[in-house]
Amino acid sequence: MMDDKTVAIVIPAYNESEVIAEVIKEIRDAGEYRIVVVDDGSSDATYQAAKACAGVVALRHRINRGKGAATKTGIMAANRLGADIIVTMDGDGQHDPTDIRALIQPIREKACDVVLGTRPKVKGEMPYIKIIANRIGNIVTWLLYGMHVSDSQSGFRAYSHFAASIIDTKADKYEYDSKVIREINNNRLRFTEVPIQVRYTAYSMGKVQKQGFINGIKTLVRMIWGMLV
Amino acid sequence: MKIHVYQVVIICISSVMLFQGIKDFLKRETGQTFLKLAVRLIVWGGMALVAVYPNSTMLVAKFIGIEGNINAVILTGFLLVFLLIFKLLSAIEKIEQNISELTRKEALSHLDDQITTARHEDVQK
Repeated sequence: MMDDKTVAIVIPAYNESEVIAEVIKEIRDAGEYRIVVVDDGSSDATYQAAKACAGVVALRHRINRGKGAATKTGIMAANRLGADIIVTMDGDGQHDPTDIRALIQPIREKACDVVLGTRPKVKGEMPYIKIIANRIGNIVTWLLYGMHVSDSQSGFRAYSHFAASIIDTKADKYEYDSKVIREINNNRLRFTEVPIQVRYTAYSMGKVQKQGFINGIKTLVRMIWGMLV
Repeated sequence: MKIHVYQVVIICISSVMLFQGIKDFLKRETGQTFLKLAVRLIVWGGMALVAVYPNSTMLVAKFIGIEGNINAVILTGFLLVFLLIFKLLSAIEKIEQNISELTRKEALSHLDDQITTARHEDVQK
């Protein structure tokens, strides 16, 4: 059952000009949502492509600051737009917009403040290397931030207006997703996990700036460094 | 007294580094704080002192309580370098955060224009 809550979809995007219009179209087809695209200093025409889509709020970082920084900018913009529920999802089309409804349902029912989309970690549905990386990420997040979740690195999440206002992290890169888990724990926010689908395409898997092995190590170092300073 | 090559090299480098540091501080160049000068004086001054008076390392060893004077100096050096790297990385981290904050403010400053345009498009539909 739908209510009158405003839902904003925040899409951090970096060099996604090829697919961003299609991602926006899919979201539009999935429901009536406000869409905020944050172009994170792309060198291609991502910003122009997003801006060309009617009704989309397209913002641009003049320089590349990382997925976390772009997500935070998008969440702040959505808050200013008066969104009651904010959903974050990737700009490469790997997340299925038809999952948004299930993702926001627990917040609509006031059952929780944050909903974490959980990718299926089954061989065949998720690349094996990603399953291992995901498990390591979950263990590190648990060790550093004291909370165990099934998918600490998923970018497909939903926040209530309250949660989006209270969660504050200075993490700019991929460690943002784990730092949000820390914030949920520190602020005693109610959360739940909802299974989501992921579409691993040649495009999404081929991007160099994605969270690969080297970027994963860098993220780990930044997480540990963040504990020291 | 026999003078070794390493002593001449260290004294030359230390002299240049100390001269540069004191000159920058006296000229009040950007970013030259007293703390920076103090660190420079301690690090390069200390190295020059050890080069001129190699036996002074015995005093350091005695003060720290480690047998073997050169080990004490190396350990102290490592600690100082570690502290400097720590300080440097903290400063870089802070600068990175400030850059992100500025970038975000600049991006959000265009939000009102975007809202007006989006509403206009909604009305037109």
